[in-house]
Amino acid sequence: MIEAEHLAKDYGTVLAVDDVSFSVGTGEVVGFLGPNGAGKSTTLRMLAGFLAPTRGRVLLHGFDMQQQPLRARERLGYMPEASPLYPELKVREYLGFRAALKRVPRSKRTAAVGAAMERARVSDVADTLILHLSKGYRQRVGLADALVASPPLLILDEPTAGLDPNQIREVRELVRELGRDHTILLSTHILSEVEAVCGRALVIDRGKLVAEGSIEALLSRGRAGSLRAVVNDPEGRAEAVARAVPGVKELRFAGTPSARDLELEIELMPGRDAGDAAQALTKAWVEAGVAVRALSPAKASLEQVFSALTEPSA
Amino acid sequence: MTGALAVYRRELLALWVTPLAWVLLVVFLLLEGGIFYAIVVHFATLPEPSVDSGPLQAFFGQESVLLLITLMLLCPALTMRSFAEERRSGTIETLLTAPVSPSAVVAGKYLALLTTFAIMWAPTLLYVLILGKSGDLDAGTVLSCYLGLLGVGATYLAIGTLMSAMTRSQLVALLLTVFVVFGLFVLGIGEYLLEDGWLRDVSAYLSMGSQMDDFSRGIVDSRRVVLDVTLVACCLFLCTRVVESWSAE
Repeated sequence: MIEAEHLAKDYGTVLAVDDVSFSVGTGEVVGFLGPNGAGKSTTLRMLAGFLAPTRGRVLLHGFDMQQQPLRARERLGYMPEASPLYPELKVREYLGFRAALKRVPRSKRTAAVGAAMERARVSDVADTLILHLSKGYRQRVGLADALVASPPLLILDEPTAGLDPNQIREVRELVRELGRDHTILLSTHILSEVEAVCGRALVIDRGKLVAEGSIEALLSRGRAGSLRAVVNDPEGRAEAVARAVPGVKELRFAGTPSARDLELEIELMPGRDAGDAAQALTKAWVEAGVAVRALSPAKASLEQVFSALTEPSA
Repeated sequence: MTGALAVYRRELLALWVTPLAWVLLVVFLLLEGGIFYAIVVHFATLPEPSVDSGPLQAFFGQESVLLLITLMLLCPALTMRSFAEERRSGTIETLLTAPVSPSAVVAGKYLALLTTFAIMWAPTLLYVLILGKSGDLDAGTVLSCYLGLLGVGATYLAIGTLMSAMTRSQLVALLLTVFVVFGLFVLGIGEYLLEDGWLRDVSAYLSMGSQMDDFSRGIVDSRRVVLDVTLVACCLFLCTRVVESWSAE
């Protein structure tokens, strides 16, 4: 559906996007992640054909955006950042205009507008001036616009930016629902959003693609080498025993879940398999008379992965 | 084509649901009404009216630049929003990422402005009606008067549309347009100031004042029509190129 080949955008003073290549297949819901100013919007604008890449090319549905822009855009629903709309129009008028612009046949326009409003849950403001709408509604009118010609492909630039938690939840629900029958590429700097709705993520930082893969794969890239254990250790031997196990690098007290139990965080040497280490650790503790009540690989949060990938010092 | 039509309809709607067109219409009709009144009163006091000069001719141009001055204010005010507002508010991004070509967008916007311009002049047909009641009017002259008006208006609107694409600020677009159409007007004055020579010929050819003058006498000069059409085509072509160039910014 989307093929981005060696995309670069040079603004003269800044290289906003630098040799970014990726593809998004039919039916995927892909998150486009990056800190603010990383080049997310610039990349999406190139994908939607609003900006011409300085180098590289974009193919949508196999059509080159530079060579055949109208064909490439025909089956694309694009929602720009902050969802700019015409304030002087009513929601229904606006969507009718957008449907005509996107070549929805005249006889089907009313139905298409109705269906898009229904899906984006803006039917109740159909005859309200856009000027009077709240940010959440505007954002959803932008989504309705992206949907109005029922394109199989959606590119959404920060669909939840500037919304309150309830609105974020609503938009997220909507995106998840749309993901069942659309290919979606959405950008965000909110990680929980990607975890909630996307199957795969692309991480961009300072114009470069720094990571790509399924959410699980990205998570395991973070701090796979750490374990979390809860032990019952009345004699206080757990720490010394654990330190003697090969592969254990560092050990920290993480808390006391109950009066008798002790929670430990165990950092492993790089390259150690968490399963092997867990096995060795359990054996050592049991032999030393320490009761192991729980032991699991510590799951890195996407936040940690994200900062590891995008922090200047990392 | 459907794209241009959709843009056309939205532009018309946007022009008429916001106060701008109505405010302009009111100011414009007050101004024109005043001018018309003054001209009629002036001619009513003349003892012997001549054949090819009358209130209608005076209203549309002959020996009077009042109408041209109105146009030089009306057209820039109409066109200033066109592209500048879309770029300031960001809606240009939704517009240009729809499956519609830049030329269709320019055409739709321009035709909507031209239509609005024509609608604004429609009430002045009443003046013609009033004059027709109290004296003889030549239908051909009336037609050529309005043709001349349409030609000058179309030119000014095309210039305004181009200028609106040059900037994100409506005010700057307005000033640029006024500057250019006023420059064109000043060039035209050269016809009366310069000595005989090619420069004077150029001035006479480019003079919008003389165009109104000719057309108000019922003279439809094809050179004037060619000039208007050329200027409109050039401005709209340039405007399309400007719109296309935004993607490379």
